[in-house]
Amino acid sequence: MQLPSSEMRPKLSARARLQTDKVTGKPIVLYPEGVLMLNPTGHAIVSLCTGEKSFQEIVATLAERYKKSAAEISPQVAEYLNRLRERNLLEITEAKE
Amino acid sequence: MNRAIPRPFSLLAEITHRCPLHCPYCSNPLQLSSQSAELTTDEWKRVLHEAADLGVLHVGFSGGEPLQRSDLAQLVASAREAGLYTNLITSSLGLTSQRLEELKRAGLDSIQISFQSDEELLANRIAGVSAHATKLKAAQMVRESGLPLTLNVVLHRANIDRLEQIIALAERLGAERLELANTQYYGWAFKNRAQLLPTRAQIERAIPIATAAKKRLLGKMELLFVVPDYYSDRPKPCMNGWGQKYLTVNPAGEVLPCPTAHEIKSLRFDNVREKSLGWIWRESEAFNRFRGTEWLPAPCHDCEFREIDFGGCRCQAALITGDATVTDPACELSPHRNTLTEFVEASQNSGASAEATNLIFRQNTGV
Repeated sequence: MQLPSSEMRPKLSARARLQTDKVTGKPIVLYPEGVLMLNPTGHAIVSLCTGEKSFQEIVATLAERYKKSAAEISPQVAEYLNRLRERNLLEITEAKE
Repeated sequence: MNRAIPRPFSLLAEITHRCPLHCPYCSNPLQLSSQSAELTTDEWKRVLHEAADLGVLHVGFSGGEPLQRSDLAQLVASAREAGLYTNLITSSLGLTSQRLEELKRAGLDSIQISFQSDEELLANRIAGVSAHATKLKAAQMVRESGLPLTLNVVLHRANIDRLEQIIALAERLGAERLELANTQYYGWAFKNRAQLLPTRAQIERAIPIATAAKKRLLGKMELLFVVPDYYSDRPKPCMNGWGQKYLTVNPAGEVLPCPTAHEIKSLRFDNVREKSLGWIWRESEAFNRFRGTEWLPAPCHDCEFREIDFGGCRCQAALITGDATVTDPACELSPHRNTLTEFVEASQNSGASAEATNLIFRQNTGV
């Protein structure tokens, strides 16, 4: 799977829902017949997939939050998004401009 | 009892056995529950909230045909209020645009529609009623509503040769998931297994078609296809282990570790009318009888696969050998495997027609 282009705007699919697990108090994504238990990094990434931010902007936001360089975390974020996309959990739109 | 009690993830809510279809592989028991025995709206609401408190994340509203209950939208709303992800498992018969709007407003998350085939004549013959055209319209309506759509097609000798066309139908209808569910031989399907079991040649043709489609559709449509256990060397990890992840509540309120657990005549199932769901999950004899791996018989108890398949399916062991406590006969290590193998061999040439004329259809009298 190719890496997302820097301008694409990922959005959590309408079939998926981000919520807090009643039992563990941790964030989860629910989708048909499945669940993802999110770790803090996964939660940070998924929370930014609103369709408003581009991939580049998501990486920049996370880089600032975790005090890392964009180049360092970009491949990890891309890999995570690709895993979500393989599960059909992301809607991807290109920037409109 | 020192078994660790896990957390259930998914509840199958069989809210009614009433159904307009007559599928000869129906997973409901041969003895169906009557409408007068069904749990009330308030009883179901309590069950849904108790399920969420136990840790359940998904509820599938199933049946029978769940649309037969006029309080379905109320139940969906109650499940959503409890934080559950709600899925409607339906034939779609009875799904008007008004009803769909009502369910969507109640917070329904996704819909799974059964199809008997891609081809109308065969589909209607299997369903025992003229349902296919209605299903096509309903699927389109669901897509237009924006709700995620799963197609569920039970595979058997009469339709498995149409696998490519069935996959194409799911794509054409814009399904996000396609469950190609090989018939499981319990209840009605067990009665019909000589007519329903695909031949080895059919299975060998189907596997590469499903595998290629799965790869081609990755990220667009999730495709599930599992080789039927009659043709496998190893048993299925039934329900991911007994009393580990799943529970079923039937129309009359009995709580079952799997939808077909009534095949095990030696078990008694507690009812949500008498006990809480939490008590039944943790304490009941039925849920603890086969929980974990300590109870496993030979050759399972020291088998390297015991944490992978947990000895296979209890219902199948009961149905084939008369003893629910033995290794699933689908396992090549089972001393009973030859019973299954002999059946499989005998069925290779027995009336391999797609006409399905000798099938015993589900009867809906007294429901």
